Amino acid sequence: MALTEDRRRMAMRLMVLQASVVVAFAALAVSFWFLQIVQHTQYEEMAENNHQRTLALRAPRGVLFDRNGRVLVENRHSFNVSIVREHTKDLDRTIRLLAGVGGLDADVVRQIVARHRHEPTYRPIVVIEDASLSQVAAIMARRLDFELPDVVVEQVPTRQYPIDALAAHVFGYVGEASETQIGNGIRSGSIIGQSGVERVYNDLLMGEDGARRVVVNSVGREIRTEAEVPPKEGRRVQLTIDYDLQKAAEDGFRHAGFNGSAVILDPRNGEVLSLVSLPAYDPNDFAAGIDSATWASLNNDQLKPLQNRAIQGRYSPGSTFKLVVATAALEEGLVTPDYKVYCGGSATFFGRNFLCHLKGGHGVIDMRHAIEKSCNVYFYTLGNMLGVDRLHKWAETLGLVGKTGIDLPNEQESLVPSTEWKMRRFGEKWYAGETISVAIGQGQVSVTPVSLGVMMATIANGGTRVIPHIVRAVDEGGGWKMATPPAVAEHAAFRPQTLSALHDGLWMVVNAAGTGGRARIPGRDVAGKTGTAQVISIQGRQAARGSGLDLRDHGWFVFFAPKDDPEIAGVIFGEHSEHGYLGAPIARHVIETYFAKKEGSPLPVLVPTPAPAPPEADPDTAPVEIGPAIAAAPRAAAGPGTN
Amino acid sequence: MFERRLYHHVDWGLLIAVLLLCAMGLAQIYSATGGWTTTLQTQLYGILLGLVALVVCLSVDYRSVADKSHFIYIGVGGLLVYVLFFGAVRGGARRWIDLGIFNIQPSEFAKVALALVLAKFFGESRRGSVTRVDLAVAAALTAVPLVVIAQQPDLGTAATLLPVAFAVVYVAGMPVRLLGALTLLGLLAVPIVWQFALQDYQRERIATFMDPAQDARGAGYQQIQARITVGSGGLWGKGFREGTQGQLRFLPVAHNDFIFSVLAEEQGFAGVIVALGLYLFVILRSVESARLAKDRLGAYLVVGVLASFAFQVIYNVTMSAGLAPVKGLTLPLMSYGGSSMVATLAGFGLMLNVRMRRFTN
Repeated sequence: MALTEDRRRMAMRLMVLQASVVVAFAALAVSFWFLQIVQHTQYEEMAENNHQRTLALRAPRGVLFDRNGRVLVENRHSFNVSIVREHTKDLDRTIRLLAGVGGLDADVVRQIVARHRHEPTYRPIVVIEDASLSQVAAIMARRLDFELPDVVVEQVPTRQYPIDALAAHVFGYVGEASETQIGNGIRSGSIIGQSGVERVYNDLLMGEDGARRVVVNSVGREIRTEAEVPPKEGRRVQLTIDYDLQKAAEDGFRHAGFNGSAVILDPRNGEVLSLVSLPAYDPNDFAAGIDSATWASLNNDQLKPLQNRAIQGRYSPGSTFKLVVATAALEEGLVTPDYKVYCGGSATFFGRNFLCHLKGGHGVIDMRHAIEKSCNVYFYTLGNMLGVDRLHKWAETLGLVGKTGIDLPNEQESLVPSTEWKMRRFGEKWYAGETISVAIGQGQVSVTPVSLGVMMATIANGGTRVIPHIVRAVDEGGGWKMATPPAVAEHAAFRPQTLSALHDGLWMVVNAAGTGGRARIPGRDVAGKTGTAQVISIQGRQAARGSGLDLRDHGWFVFFAPKDDPEIAGVIFGEHSEHGYLGAPIARHVIETYFAKKEGSPLPVLVPTPAPAPPEADPDTAPVEIGPAIAAAPRAAAGPGTN
Repeated sequence: MFERRLYHHVDWGLLIAVLLLCAMGLAQIYSATGGWTTTLQTQLYGILLGLVALVVCLSVDYRSVADKSHFIYIGVGGLLVYVLFFGAVRGGARRWIDLGIFNIQPSEFAKVALALVLAKFFGESRRGSVTRVDLAVAAALTAVPLVVIAQQPDLGTAATLLPVAFAVVYVAGMPVRLLGALTLLGLLAVPIVWQFALQDYQRERIATFMDPAQDARGAGYQQIQARITVGSGGLWGKGFREGTQGQLRFLPVAHNDFIFSVLAEEQGFAGVIVALGLYLFVILRSVESARLAKDRLGAYLVVGVLASFAFQVIYNVTMSAGLAPVKGLTLPLMSYGGSSMVATLAGFGLMLNVRMRRFTN
């Protein structure tokens, strides 16, 4: 009996075990059902994130061409080294190893990583941009050893600009998008235009980044490519810039030995043929991410290479402003070109004596010759007749007030004072005596080189104020399409006698007894005008002596050619060049290049001069100081009649 | 010794189910290791050798085997002690005897040896119920190999000895009161074990299991990856050799401890149900053998062998789904491992033996 009792109990206990096993298996089946069916989508996604990486393929930026189809800015391949933290087990070790292999400062790498620490871990953090081939080789070898599985080396297109920083301020430069620039198609890490054409036309040039989805294994090695969306290259853009004219202008400055700016326009339509600002920076330094040392030295350089003088530098226009006075007087109908003034070397207005640069005076002089000789007294007289508000009005018509509207970023406004302006700015009324110095481009007048370029284009084309622009055509995928030029800012048809007087006077500056003889080209009828922008007043000069600052005056040369039916107009600004006429050879070289190109003859070459020519007498730089010191001079009372 | 009529009493259904599981294991090892590798070949030899062991264990009457069980027990115990001092070290553990051509892992055989010796001890007892003395003897018999194996250290395998002892003692008729008291004692021992018996890495593993995310790169990694592997398999799986988690090695030891995860990934819930069904069939069918056994010795033997098998299957499958702390416990019949395969198949030989000889004297 005991045995059967035993057996029954055993059978029962076996049943209990059996039931436990069944329950356990049922629980397992339910668990798997839950994981594999209910939560499947979630885990499937996690599995995909595990083994798939989406790598951004940076789109090459659009190629920039000059007006003749010559490539100006293109792209080259460079290597970026990045850390993908998603695969990082020990970030510090990776940084130390990478810094050692790549020859970098570990702290710098740490800073870069720290700056991007809030981004998703799968996004590569670029640690070395434009890595050298030896860096790439060293890192790839470590990757193969599984020592740096979280480091990737990518080939990326990088901007390539012309050598010698040609047209640097036209192109601008590119750089990683800052936090405030992110959005609207621009992601963190995107390379976007930060200045110049690169910035203004960034939307066209940027293109669309592609992506490559790759399968990687657990140590991050790529197994195969799953899908690829190729990047879309940015639009090709043709500029109005002429490579040869750009080079001619820059060569001219180098030959002349000073810095400055030049803006060369087609006066018929406002196309910018050349835009120079010197000293320049090398945009290539920015293309692959600028290092902090270079950036700091560019920013701290006293010569301000980052400033685009053509649109951001404001200077007193000096004698070139006399053209505004002449235009105003003629167009207002106050005088005719034959109107004569006696210049005895100085003149008195409102009890103050104002000097002409020629101590002995120009004698009786008409407008054409006043322009030719740059007679101060003549234009004091006209300025006094006009008053500051009419000067302001015609300065605006000629493009010297406000911005020209050129398609480059951060243009500064040119300033020509008016009674309203003075009231607004200083809360004071305008004194008629102030108008006298304004009439020769001094006092409160301050203009950008590009605005003087527009003035010359307007005088050249007979009164149409064009808006200077830099883009000629865009290839949006279906071949070149001419860009719509900006509308004309103002169309003021000047009277024929105004034009003939201005054109004749300007022609005489270059081709007769004027100061612009160095721009003379036989048969080209170059018309021009020199000017001097005072950097500091004579009293100020005394005070600033020994400060180490460069206080030499700036020189202007504005021009167009040929006199009749002008095709090219522009401005040469010589920074601390002291004399306006020193800019004339630069203009001459540009104009010669322009016509040589047009006619298919060999381009002119600048031959280095062995020694600088001795300085000539420069009417623009003679003191025309206003104030008691000069008013008290013996000649003070010898004011000629001004009627 | 092998009578012809016994042939008809071999449980062919069980044998076929066992062989099917071995085949599934081979297929997953093929998938996980990437083709006709030495790993796969070793596994194949393990199965063949195991079948030989199965036939041997089947041929000899289990009662004569049980008669020699103390020799087997002492022999295996000797090997375990030998391993402790002269064993080959791999992955920080001293578990193997290096025989040149292959390695033997004696701890795998300890389970069968323990089942045999316990079955014999309780089977020969005529008292009809389990006394405290019996219990003390059983505990001592279990504790010796358990402690030695735990020293290797191989806590996982050591732990599989406990179900053997418990199942045999339970079926042998241990009073429920005593069982309850033991369970209570066990629960009370948990904090003490946690504090004094566990190594740091073991504590860490358990802590990680409670919250895998706290160490997603380290110990929690395998657990998270296991769940992803299983969950991403879906209903029908990603297809043979198409599993990204296993193939791209996000889940380590895919041919070994985590073979079931990879099966779940590639064959889906459907494959899981088939495999679980086969295991359940094997287990229930074997319990049936215990019920049908001619004597208590046979029944205890089956229960003892089966206990470690069932425990290991359930634990490994749970771990494969990321639902249990990661332990170096393989999945019997499927995971890669020669010693385990031979020992397991030998154990099935003994169970088949009991069923086959249920009518003999």
